[in-house]
Amino acid sequence: MSDEALRQRELLAALDHGAAVPPTLREAGARAVRGLEAYRANAESVAERALAASFATVRAMVGEEDFRHLAAEFRLAHPPERGDIGEWGDAFPPWLATHAGLAAWPWLADGARLDLALHHNERAADAAFDADSLGLLESTDPAELRLVLMPGSALLHSVWPIAAIHHAHQLEGDAAEAAFASVREAIAAQREALAAERGEQVLVARRGWRAVVYPLDAATAAWTQDLLDGVNLEDALARAGEGFDFAAWLGVALRESWLKGVAAAND
Amino acid sequence: MGAAADTPAGIGLRQPPAQVGIGLRHAHYSALFETAPALGFVEVHSENFFADGGAALAVLHRARERYPVSLHGVGLALGSAAGLDPWHLDRLARLVQRIEPERVSDHACFARASPTPGAPIVHANDLLPIAFTEASLAILASNVTQAQERIGRPMLVENLSSYVSFADDTLTEPEFFAQLCRRSGCGMLLDVNNLMVNALNAGAADPLAACCAFVEALPLGIVGEIHVAGYVETEAIVIDDHGSRVRPSVWAVYEHALRRFGPVPTLVEWDTDLPPFEVLLGEASQARVIAARALG
Repeated sequence: MSDEALRQRELLAALDHGAAVPPTLREAGARAVRGLEAYRANAESVAERALAASFATVRAMVGEEDFRHLAAEFRLAHPPERGDIGEWGDAFPPWLATHAGLAAWPWLADGARLDLALHHNERAADAAFDADSLGLLESTDPAELRLVLMPGSALLHSVWPIAAIHHAHQLEGDAAEAAFASVREAIAAQREALAAERGEQVLVARRGWRAVVYPLDAATAAWTQDLLDGVNLEDALARAGEGFDFAAWLGVALRESWLKGVAAAND
Repeated sequence: MGAAADTPAGIGLRQPPAQVGIGLRHAHYSALFETAPALGFVEVHSENFFADGGAALAVLHRARERYPVSLHGVGLALGSAAGLDPWHLDRLARLVQRIEPERVSDHACFARASPTPGAPIVHANDLLPIAFTEASLAILASNVTQAQERIGRPMLVENLSSYVSFADDTLTEPEFFAQLCRRSGCGMLLDVNNLMVNALNAGAADPLAACCAFVEALPLGIVGEIHVAGYVETEAIVIDDHGSRVRPSVWAVYEHALRRFGPVPTLVEWDTDLPPFEVLLGEASQARVIAARALG
């Protein structure tokens, strides 16, 4: 390792892991400590802002103070690897799920997964609906076609009412109070339903520039998962079963701009 | 780098005005498009537009239709002994292609390193100081050359405000930048607020004189952009927080720099505690007034 690489490692270790003041610094004593502290404070502030931007619902759930502590703790456990801090945070939901101090709020990690899906959706590539491709539905064997959802579309399953939790945290005032009351009831009901492994499924898709949460029934969720997995149209319809209304789904998908188009199954 | 920067002021000819731009931040997007003020350029943090798509990128494209754009990076970590992140370079190159910016810049800092032996490289997401040594210069020049080759154009590299420094520096900071520019073909982004913050934290007897001496020590022709910003004084240290108006002493250094370097494009940076848009535009007006006085 070169001298410069060692110098940089020592400074980074002093900042993030409380190692001793590097001997290569010009500053010594209190002056060195306050200089290092300025960097530490900035790093924690940057981490908190970045995670707050990506995990707004989690922040609202735990409150600003606890979120600040969580962000600082997470930064040391899973430091950023990229210079684009907006790319950081994929490990936050599973980290929350295993955090001993958060065991009383088991829905928090799933809320974080939803926040992350929204974040990724709003950074996904822009795409226009290919209306002409719908003509393939008339001309081509469904076994050779697949429906393509817009970039950034994601399906999440949770045993908790994550859509209701997310929605409640978007509201203010009386509307928020009513929504939170509803969430508390839903969580209580969900606790009872856990043994039955009932869950909630949501689609994350973009409406305009904003990512939006769409609660789905089980049949539509299974269908959506098949589309995301690239299952051909014939098989996806067969798996969806008679309870699934393709025409109704297509109407919603077109209205809400979920669909990017129709493509060859092997494309 | 603007060709005008090759000509020092004070040769008896009236010079073109310096372009003055503002940092474009999310809170000011609407105000920019609603008021469409006359600006020399807008500057954004490159990394905020690395995503594949989305609203921010659409806003930048819209801004680009009206204004020249300067892409100012905070994450390339050009001084890292661990080298550059190819992913980061690819994203920057893609953004440069998409936006066709007036200038591309980043900092003379490191951020990528492995904090402990055997650990993977992490990114500090901060502008950590590098030493002013031959070895450090070689790393920085090599990384800058690599970045310039990848994006297909010269870059500007900014001097830091730093809260610690290294005892074994063998070059002065102006010498370091002069050699960096000569070796790599890059230009310098001179942040005069950073000069003042460093002078204050170093306990300079006359901070303004120290900053002006730094400016005097830089060769003509390398400075392609100037940054001005505000700082905050805490009990312990002066922080370059970009969260307030430009201090009179920093304006004084700015004026001195313009007299030396000529009409260099100038950015008013304001990144935290963002003010009403009119206040930011007022700071840009102040920069134009000072530029007119220095260059008139």
